Parts: sequence; C-alpha cells; structure tokens
Amino acid sequence: MNEKDELAPHIEDITRALNEKVSKEQIEEELHNYIDVYGVPLGTAKRAIVKKHEGDPQKLFNSTEKKIEGITGDERSLNLKARIVSINDKEIEVENEAKTIQYGILGDETGTVPFTAWEKLPIDIEKGDTVGLQNAYANTWNDEPQVNIGTKSTVKHLDEDDVPKFESEVQPCELKDIREGMRNLSITGRLLSVEKKTVNTKNGEKDLYSGVIADETGKAQFSAWHDFGLDTDDVIRVEGGYVRSWRGVPQLSFDDKADVEFLDDDVVPKAEDLKEINILSISELAKRGGAVDAVIDAVMIDIKSGSGLIFRCPECSRVIQKGACRVHGKVDGEPDLRIKGILDDGTGALTVIANRELTEEVLGYDMEKAMDIARDNMNQDVIKDEIEEKLIAQPMKTTGNVTSDDYGLMLIANDLSTKTVDVEEEARKLLDEVRV
Amino acid sequence: MINREVAWRMFAEEFNRSTLETGGTEERSPSYVVTPLGAKVNRVYIVGVLTETENIGTPAEPMWRARVTDPTGTYFVSAGQYQPRVATALANLEPPTFVAVVGKANTYRPDEETILVNLRGELIKEVSEEQRDYWILESAKSLKRRLEAVSEAANMEEVSIDEMIDIGYDGDLADGIKKAMDHYGSPSFEKYWRMIEDSLRYILPEYEGTVEESEDKGEGDEEIEDEILRVIEELEDMAEHENGVEYEKVMNKVMDSENIGQDKFEEAVNSLRSSGKVYEPVLGNLKIIA
Repeated sequence: MNEKDELAPHIEDITRALNEKVSKEQIEEELHNYIDVYGVPLGTAKRAIVKKHEGDPQKLFNSTEKKIEGITGDERSLNLKARIVSINDKEIEVENEAKTIQYGILGDETGTVPFTAWEKLPIDIEKGDTVGLQNAYANTWNDEPQVNIGTKSTVKHLDEDDVPKFESEVQPCELKDIREGMRNLSITGRLLSVEKKTVNTKNGEKDLYSGVIADETGKAQFSAWHDFGLDTDDVIRVEGGYVRSWRGVPQLSFDDKADVEFLDDDVVPKAEDLKEINILSISELAKRGGAVDAVIDAVMIDIKSGSGLIFRCPECSRVIQKGACRVHGKVDGEPDLRIKGILDDGTGALTVIANRELTEEVLGYDMEKAMDIARDNMNQDVIKDEIEEKLIAQPMKTTGNVTSDDYGLMLIANDLSTKTVDVEEEARKLLDEVRV
Repeated sequence: MINREVAWRMFAEEFNRSTLETGGTEERSPSYVVTPLGAKVNRVYIVGVLTETENIGTPAEPMWRARVTDPTGTYFVSAGQYQPRVATALANLEPPTFVAVVGKANTYRPDEETILVNLRGELIKEVSEEQRDYWILESAKSLKRRLEAVSEAANMEEVSIDEMIDIGYDGDLADGIKKAMDHYGSPSFEKYWRMIEDSLRYILPEYEGTVEESEDKGEGDEEIEDEILRVIEELEDMAEHENGVEYEKVMNKVMDSENIGQDKFEEAVNSLRSSGKVYEPVLGNLKIIA
C-alpha cells in the first residue's frame, strides 16, 4: 500500500469533520506537509488541520465507521452498520432502582461482537433487524471487544441491504470441531446426561446445568448457565453457544443469551448408538486437546513405576516412598492398587491411569490377595511385574475422559479391557484392498 | 504440551533403508530418522522373532546386541548399562522366541558418508505368536497409509507440504515425505506394495509356504550375487578385514558394475545371506562365509 492510500481514510475524516468546506486536495497537501515535512504525529496533525479551518476536532472521533472485525475495544466513538444476531432484556439494579438494559450480539460480514444498550433503546429492535449505530463506544471485557450503546448514541433501522448477507449468523458446528475460543455456535445434539449444580461465582451463587452432549461426530461436556428445562435424552439445538476449555478439553457453554430449541427425537441418533462414536486416534486427541468418554484402540507399550501395589498418605493421598510422604513425613500408608501405563496406537501415545477396581480386574484378584502376595515375596514390585506380564504388548480397548497438560495427554480409564481382533479376517480384507 | 513420541509400527526393511537424520529446530527437541517413505521416526514398536543375542561388553558393563526379524528383514537392537531393563531381559531370553520391543531409533556413522540405523532398546518382552500377527497387521496398515501419502506427493510437480496438508495429511508426515523425496528420490512403489502383500500372506494359513516362492529370483540375480561375492573378496584382499567389508562400499561398487538399483542389490544380498554364503560379523559389514 502506498502512502497516499494509507492517508486516504484520514483525509476523508478531516473532510467530513469540516463538512466538506475544504477540498480534499488541499487537505491532502496540508496533511502531507504536517506529517512528512514537520514530522508531526498523525493524530495531532488531523486535529491541527481541523482547528485551522475553524472546525470542531471532536467531530474527528465520531466520523469513523467501522466493520466489526476492526473494532479494537478502545473506540470512543463508533459508527456501525450491523445485523442484530440476538437481543435480550435484563433487569439490573442501579442505585437501588430497577432498570432494564438490553444486550445481545451484533454481526456483519466480518464477524460478530457482543453489545449492551445501557438505556432501553428508543426504538423497537428485534433479532434479525439491520441497524445503524452512531456514537456508540467500545471497551473490552474478558479480553474481547464489546460495543456499548449509551445515552449519547443513536440507533436507527436500516434497509436489510445496507449490511451484506453474511454466513448464517450463528455458525453450525459439529462437536468434533469445537475448539477453545469459538463463539456464537449452533450445536445440535442429544443430552446424554444433565445434572444441576450450584456454583459460587463472582456474582454470588448460580445454578449450573451440566452434563454430556453428543452428536454423530463426538461428545462434549456442556455447561448451561440458565435453566432451559434441560433433561437427559433431550435433543436440542443451541444457538449462541461458546467454547471454553478445561484441562485442555473443549467444552460447550451457553447462557441466557443463547437460544435453545427442543427438536424431534430422530434428529440425532439414539443414546445407545452414540456410546461408541468416540473411537479416536491418539493424534486426533492431541489435536483436540482431549475428549469426554473417548474410546481408544491402542497397544499398551509400557507400565510406569508407581503401578501395582502402592501406599498412599492418609492425609493427602499422595503416593508415599519408603513409608514417608513428601509433605507429611513418616506416615502409616494406606494400600491401593493402580496402573499407570503408556498406550500407543501408532499415531500417538498417552498416559493411561486405571484405579483400584480396574487393576483388580486385570490382576484377577483383589487388594487383600495382592497384599498377601507382596508379603510372601517380601516385595511389592511383584504386583507391578504381574501387570507388565499381563498387559505389555497387548492390544487394549480403553474408555475414559482424556485431558491434557504440559506433560501431554492423560486418559483416566473408566473401562480397560484387552481387545480381541480377528487378525486373519482383517488381514484378508487388507490383502483384497491392496491387490486391486 | 510435550507429547510422548509415538512408537511407529514399521517393517525392518523400510527402517533399515534409512540414511537420513533430521533434528528438531528447538532446543532439546528429539532427533528423527527419516525413512524412504517419509516417516520421521524417533521410536518404534516391533514384534518379531528374537534370533540372536550377544553380549559384546563385559559382565560388569554389558552391551547386548540382539537381532529381531520380521517378514521383511532384521532389526538390530542394542542395550547397554543405560538400558538395564532390556540388558537384563536379553541376558535371560533364549532365542528363538517371539518378542515385542520398544526402541529408540539410533544412528551411527562407520565413516563420513555412511549412516546406519539400529534400535536402542527401551523395553523387551516375550510375547505370543498372536501378538506378533497383530503387529504385522498394524505394520501393514501403517505402511499402506504412508505409501498412499508418498504416491500423492510423487504425483505433484513439486512436493508441497501445504498441498499435502490440504488433501488431509498430517503436517509432520508431509514434512517427512518432502525430506525423504529430496534425499532418496521417489521410492520403489511396487516393492513396498509387494511387501504389504507378502507380509499379510505370511500370517494367513491359506498362503503357508507360498511366500518364499513368490520371491522367485529372475535369471540375472545369480550374476549379481556372483559379482557381490567377487567385490567382497576383492575388498577383503585390499586390506586387513577381519570383520568383513563395509556394506555401502560393496553396494556402490556392485551397483556401478552391474548397473542396478539399490533394491536389486539388497535383494541379492538377502538371498546370499539366507543361503548362508555371506553374513554380517558386525553391523553394517559383509563377510563371506568360508
């Protein structure tokens, strides 16, 4: 871009602030003079030129019309043409007086941005309306820009054509594709579980409805910050959801700004058919950062130390070494069984953790017996040796939640079983494929 | 996030053919062996037949060497004092037996131009024949995926990582394939497709006994074998060669004199090996069995 193009919008600003009293050519020459000859900063130069021609420099600020994409969050005066993607009323209390504000989402062809109207808007605005905002302002909230409509702002209806059509205002998205930071999504799925919790937030106690939502492509944890009347096995479409992540796992969140629609049962496969959908390669899991209720087909290629019969600190449950806890010193350890292994499917590797119950299943005996065996051998490592013997080089089918942190992926197993494969059958199938 | 390096399922033939190494760009990032089909290998998981074990160190400071064969060739596995788990296991294993091995790809340079690869053992365990068969199936699938990716790349005017990613391949594999094509050129697709077929037949009862036959030699091969024996003798005569002569030197000479590719040469060497005419006294050297 040459210098002239860069200056063009500023020349426009100045011309407009001066009500086009002065020709663009003259302004261009003056601006060039200030900036290139005298090295005056752009903002100062614009002010000076407007003043010189007896205009009001304040007008420079409300003259810029922006696209949503370009909003940075520090605009003191902002003109915008946008479509109302969503709009809601909210009662708030200001100095002990109830007051209604409106909030929602604005969109244009470049993106979407949340907005708040701090006074009830003078005209009726509905979802889908095209509006022109004058003299609004922007700030940031949670590092995201948001538009504010204050007492000095004006709002008017525009023709639909004034804002080009943009890709459906909410983005339809499959659960396998959700990633941290996405917002304004449209998700259709079946609720495999719903649970009501009360959580403490900055604004006091709030009810949270959370559980697992699934579609044909995957599953995700969801959190609804509003009582939509959700129930297990409901099929819903959420419009206006956003994605946060917890320990690397993307989760769907939505609040009272979202629209929840209850759909026919046959829109999404039945719950029992969704159970097995989450068979994932480990490389895919690494890309997603984790998953809820994932099913992994992989070979156990190592059993890590800290597997087998272990002793935990009664105070903090940390695994103790030589009768001493890292934090609480000498303690009487409580026995436990667990497996810490490495599953590798040829596309990636992850750490798998299995609890006492699953470990007992692998061993084929309970913890009491494990204690007896360790005592007989005067060595607790024999239990780990036995797990190695049973599991290493064994193809496994494992189910559980996968999270990620700095040390990579971790699967907390709900189920861990050796996989039986009809190798000959599969080999014949593959042979047929490659012979063509 | 540091993810543990994946353990590749890969036949010995593809791995042993590797002569390219690539390091990560970041500090402490691992190094990889790049195979002719573009796999960037830091770790492999193999299941095969343990055919030989030997301690070339001392009882106090052991250095175990082992050979593990699959339907395509032999993996060379080593374990010294820093791999006590594997060294101890090797001391107690009695060949022949089926074993699973997890190992780190390791390179060494017998001379300036030559890079040879082997595995530094991380874990070894005696396993069942079923587990070996499952591994062959997994390795055949893995090889097929790479072969398809390399075929796509070979069809491009110039191998482009972006284009590979566009058509759905993983960025790491795309990068490996570009490096491999630059270094090795286009691989012998036919050979690798046949490798998949042969290895699958190997585990299917209806093909029992037919796999060796399918590798029937052509007329010219005996000529190549004779030439190899002649070159080895010639090189052995030129200097003291208690441990045989370097594989690469023999290969280069024979490939020149017979005007053949590396594939043909290696086929002939394998044939000489299996008929007991040559052996490798140390890794990477050939010697005639007197």
